Amino acid sequence: MERIIILNGSPRAPKSNSLKYAEVFCRYSSVETQYFNIGKNNHGELCSFMENYSNILFVFPLYADALPVGLLNFLKYLEANPTINKPVISILINCGFLEYRQNMVAVEMMKFFCRENGYRVGSILMIGGGEAILETPFKFIVSIKIRQFAKSIISRKYKILHATMPITKKLFKMAASTYWSNYGKKFGISKIEMETMKIEGME
Amino acid sequence: MKLILSDKPLYIDLQDSDKIKYMDLSSMKIANCVGCFGCWTKTPGCCVIRDDATKVYPLIAKSDSVLYISRLKYGGYDTIMKTMLERAIPIQQAFIRIYKGETHHVQRAVKPKNAIIIPYGDISDEEKEIFKLLVARNSKNMNFDNYRIIFATEKNLYSIVNTVLKKWSE
Repeated sequence: MERIIILNGSPRAPKSNSLKYAEVFCRYSSVETQYFNIGKNNHGELCSFMENYSNILFVFPLYADALPVGLLNFLKYLEANPTINKPVISILINCGFLEYRQNMVAVEMMKFFCRENGYRVGSILMIGGGEAILETPFKFIVSIKIRQFAKSIISRKYKILHATMPITKKLFKMAASTYWSNYGKKFGISKIEMETMKIEGME
Repeated sequence: MKLILSDKPLYIDLQDSDKIKYMDLSSMKIANCVGCFGCWTKTPGCCVIRDDATKVYPLIAKSDSVLYISRLKYGGYDTIMKTMLERAIPIQQAFIRIYKGETHHVQRAVKPKNAIIIPYGDISDEEKEIFKLLVARNSKNMNFDNYRIIFATEKNLYSIVNTVLKKWSE
């Protein structure tokens, strides 16, 4: 019987888009699925949980073109404290850029970790435009992909999937401008202020 | 200005310390990025975490040459360097530009750079290939005009660093 443990590697896990993707996944998962955030101090606890699951799903955002450092630190802990059970590792990664392929280096890093540590790689879902897509009319595209992704893990017919917004780069740039301008407004910061070229107040 | 960021202490003699800044990240207090987007949307250009990272990212922005020295892990930067690179996002804006046919963040006042990256450790060929892909990606997001990767072992790291620094001072 398949059992899935979802580990969220986002630094803002409780408020993250990765959590929202995990929630969609849970809706489509027909087997027992448990969700946990990867914190700074729960690595040992998460590793002990892993003994009881057939699958791990890592959900995380792309950070500086690679794995977020919190996830990197967890993988290092897991490497140093290997579990007896070796669940199949699946990956759901999202980046804020339109191109889902910008996630590929981070996926290669995960695959390398798996090979080095004796884990089988399961399904992979790479999402582009991941910061905002769930708040757009294209939410359904991600939902369909996550459903296929969940099905592939449960049936052990592993797949590499991807999703992004079906719009041009130019339109994405305009939409991102509106999205971030509205984000700044919530804190009383104008678009012009957000566009400052100053860093730490210096030119 | 030239900048050296290292994840371990380097015992180097900098001849021209006005033009070359050296930061030993391992001796600095730098917390993980919490992904709050504060540096884009609340205090643009400034990180809300007021630790040593706030001294480093302005130097990254000002430098036209950088030398990054980091242990390699799973084909990427290990924890110390990666933590700093994640904390450097205040030098970018939230807004998007189209650069080399892809969407990327707009840079603030960030000088184009010649970058030399020295990853070190017991590095397999597979890790080297992943790291090359990573730096190719970094070059678009970190304003590298051009870059060179020099793989090193623990043993030959200092001699490689000294060779680079000698060339810098010529």
